[in-house]
Amino acid sequence: MLDIRVRRRIGSFTLEAALAAPSGAVTVLVGESGSGKSTLLRLVAGLLDPDDGRIAWNGEPLVDPAARWSVPPEGRPIGYVAQDYALFPHLDARANVAFGLRAQRRPRREIERRVAATLDRFDLGALASRRPHQLSGGQQQRVALARALVLDPEILLLDEPLSALDLRTRRTVRAELRRTLQGLSCATLFVTHHPTEALAFGERIAVLEAGRVTQSGTRDDFVRRPRSRYVAEFLGVNLVDGTIAARHADGLVAVACEGTTLTVPDPGAEGAVRLVIHPHDIVVSRAAPAGSARNVLRGVVDEVIPEPPQGERVRVLLSTRPPLAAQVTRDAVETLGLVPGAEVFASFKATGVVVLAGEGGDA
Amino acid sequence: MSHAPDARFAAAGRPSPPLIPGLAIAAIGVLVLLLALPFVGLIARVSPRTLLVRLGEPAVLEALRLSLLTSISATALVVILGTPAAYLLATREFRGKRLLEVLIQLPMVLPPTVAGFALLMAFGRMGFAGHWLSAFGVSLPFTTVGVILAQVFMAAPFFIAPARAGFAGVDPRLLDAAATLRASETQRFLRVMLPLALPSLVAGVSLSGARALGEFGATITFAGNLPGVTQTMPLAVYVALQSDLDAAVVLSVLLLVMSFGLLLGLGSAPPGWMGVRSGAGHPGSPPHR
Repeated sequence: MLDIRVRRRIGSFTLEAALAAPSGAVTVLVGESGSGKSTLLRLVAGLLDPDDGRIAWNGEPLVDPAARWSVPPEGRPIGYVAQDYALFPHLDARANVAFGLRAQRRPRREIERRVAATLDRFDLGALASRRPHQLSGGQQQRVALARALVLDPEILLLDEPLSALDLRTRRTVRAELRRTLQGLSCATLFVTHHPTEALAFGERIAVLEAGRVTQSGTRDDFVRRPRSRYVAEFLGVNLVDGTIAARHADGLVAVACEGTTLTVPDPGAEGAVRLVIHPHDIVVSRAAPAGSARNVLRGVVDEVIPEPPQGERVRVLLSTRPPLAAQVTRDAVETLGLVPGAEVFASFKATGVVVLAGEGGDA
Repeated sequence: MSHAPDARFAAAGRPSPPLIPGLAIAAIGVLVLLLALPFVGLIARVSPRTLLVRLGEPAVLEALRLSLLTSISATALVVILGTPAAYLLATREFRGKRLLEVLIQLPMVLPPTVAGFALLMAFGRMGFAGHWLSAFGVSLPFTTVGVILAQVFMAAPFFIAPARAGFAGVDPRLLDAAATLRASETQRFLRVMLPLALPSLVAGVSLSGARALGEFGATITFAGNLPGVTQTMPLAVYVALQSDLDAAVVLSVLLLVMSFGLLLGLGSAPPGWMGVRSGAGHPGSPPHR
């Protein structure tokens, strides 16, 4: 288990983050650029020291400023893949992969054996004598991964490992990288600014915003209970702030929000709440719904966006109050005639809404 | 000059507006003549036959031997002493860095006679360092070692400046990567910094070697002009000018050829050496974000 609790100032920016990453799992740290993700990785790698706090691996401190203790990067059980891979331009792929073992002065036989096995594992055998500038982006990434993993690190740090790739290669490399990471026994800390990547890779996901971890938990938690606008926007879920106005008898409450009152499950708290309404829970109809849905809003279709482009599902943006995004099938769009300007009803069950207590207000 | 904006755009779009290149070519022509004519004059002054015959003269060979011995030794010392300084200046910030920089640059602009005189004041019999050294029976002025010292003094900046630029041009992210791959600072230097900065170091060796070979003022002031001991080729040229013009020409041509070869051979390690730009990453690498 990697335990991180650090504070580090860089200019006017302060990173103050606490995070744990277990072995044998991928923990994704997701956040916008400038949120401090790379800084956090550099702290774990030992390329930067925290002002305060502690980073420990299985209880052993890697850095502890209070005790004036800091293991230099070369002494940490890490593997680090930089954003642009930082391959040594003067060495071919094989020598890049062998670099770490040579630095450790392993016996020559062992180096040859382990490097050959790793090159094979990453399908780099045929490219072994190429220099980095003769490799494609995806190949460079494989060399960078191989170079880090040949050392059997206990902690693997990946800094936006896909961002240097063009869109077309990114998809194949992503699948490849996922397979690689799934088989690892080390604790993997994966940094990205793409929530899609976070969902694809992270069994555990932590959200970093302006230097602070605002949410951390399982992938499921991340999807079902997004706590920040940043994540909600990326997930495409509706986030509605309101205040509890009344309690019903059946375990539901009435929440007053922008322009309307919604009925949602009782969070067992008072005051401000944040509601998470998933687009696929919203039913869109032309006539007033006859079903049991407790929440019905009227509005006009604003925009119709296929998701993904050419996909089966379609995202419909509605100018209800509050504005909502619904997800429907392509068939529904055609049968209901959902074109911009069409008047519709949006309805959703009270029980489908996730209520986050004590969060409303700012986002 | 009143061009309409459109006309100026049109001019900028043309491959070569005639006036500016014309002037530039003229300027370059004058410069090349200015630099090359003296050399041509020198070489034209003596017939190849005389050149070959006089090259074998003991006095010429003696000066040649001494020049090679001292300039090679001086360059080796410059590399040994200058590399750590160049590395320090390229990679660290510290108090007094600016002072150290100026101190290292100073010999480039100082009149060599002043440098030699200063050396004499420090290492001469009355100088504080010389006084201390003489306690061990060591005396530098008017010795071959003194010549080497004068050459080191004058040639060091010509190595340190390009070496420093070479070290500074190595992408720090590569050094970070090396550190995370278990490489100690020494290993990072030897296996990443040094190979990537090598073209610059080679250029520095050639520049400082050529400077040491041509060193005159500091040598004659500090080490004197003793044939076989401190009379290197530039000094021998100076002496020969007053008695034997042909010998002066032969020595000068020899110096000219050696310096030219040194700069041409070592100093021209191309920037794309081994497919490596010692600056930003490598071709094909994505821009850093």
